Amino acid sequence: MNSKNTIARTTFLCAVAFALASCATVTKPGSDVTLENLRSFEISFVDQFAVPGKRFDAAAFDAKVAEGNAKFQDAIKNEKFKARLPVLKDLANQFKAEAAHLRKKASTGKITKSLAAEMKRDINDNFDNATAKKTE
Amino acid sequence: MPPRRKQNKPPKPRLKKQKKKSELDSVLDQINDSTVADAKKELQDLLADAKGNSATFFQQNAQKLEERLVLLSKGELDQDDFNFFVENQKRAAQIFIDSQRPQEQERAERLTIHVLEVAATKIVPVLIAAAL
Repeated sequence: MNSKNTIARTTFLCAVAFALASCATVTKPGSDVTLENLRSFEISFVDQFAVPGKRFDAAAFDAKVAEGNAKFQDAIKNEKFKARLPVLKDLANQFKAEAAHLRKKASTGKITKSLAAEMKRDINDNFDNATAKKTE
Repeated sequence: MPPRRKQNKPPKPRLKKQKKKSELDSVLDQINDSTVADAKKELQDLLADAKGNSATFFQQNAQKLEERLVLLSKGELDQDDFNFFVENQKRAAQIFIDSQRPQEQERAERLTIHVLEVAATKIVPVLIAAAL
């Protein structure tokens, strides 16, 4: 009986937490959500390809870069806040520069742990600066 | 056997409190090339100035540059990586400078783009040569 109550209470609390989290996502400006999605994509891109000792898969790499470029272009096309367009364009260019550097290093087996860590550090800083900017 | 008595050692003379050396200072100490002495001093002064500034961007830029110079000296980043990160930082710095008031832009430029260029063009080549 007691364990049933505990399960019911835990389920209820989880449902409340989930509902609150959903509300937060829905009420967040769409533009911020897009930026967060782009950030996650870029971080996972580095996690996937900036791995010391990993064999470089050119086809997979190019496919991921094309996917990333398309995501940035979509974000630019759908951005409602004009003031954020230059920020998005800048982030798109940064992604291209990052992909070019990563390709050069990964294809020659010169990836280090520090390179991956510093790349992710720059990505996070760039997106933090972008989201901090006013959207009006 | 009589119990050993602790000897009263004379107190050590207290050393004057010195500024703790940063990891970058130790890296720069390895450069003995006198032709870059001015550049070394300029880099250290600009980094200290930037880190003491209230604007987070200056501090963040200086911190990153300092840590990447240390990583380079340890061989954990190569010159190509370092230059890539410097270009990234310069791009971000230019956006920051453009957002500053006109009378503050020159100083902002010195504490960001200029310090990055001093490191990339004057310090890094000597650090790399010293490591070979």
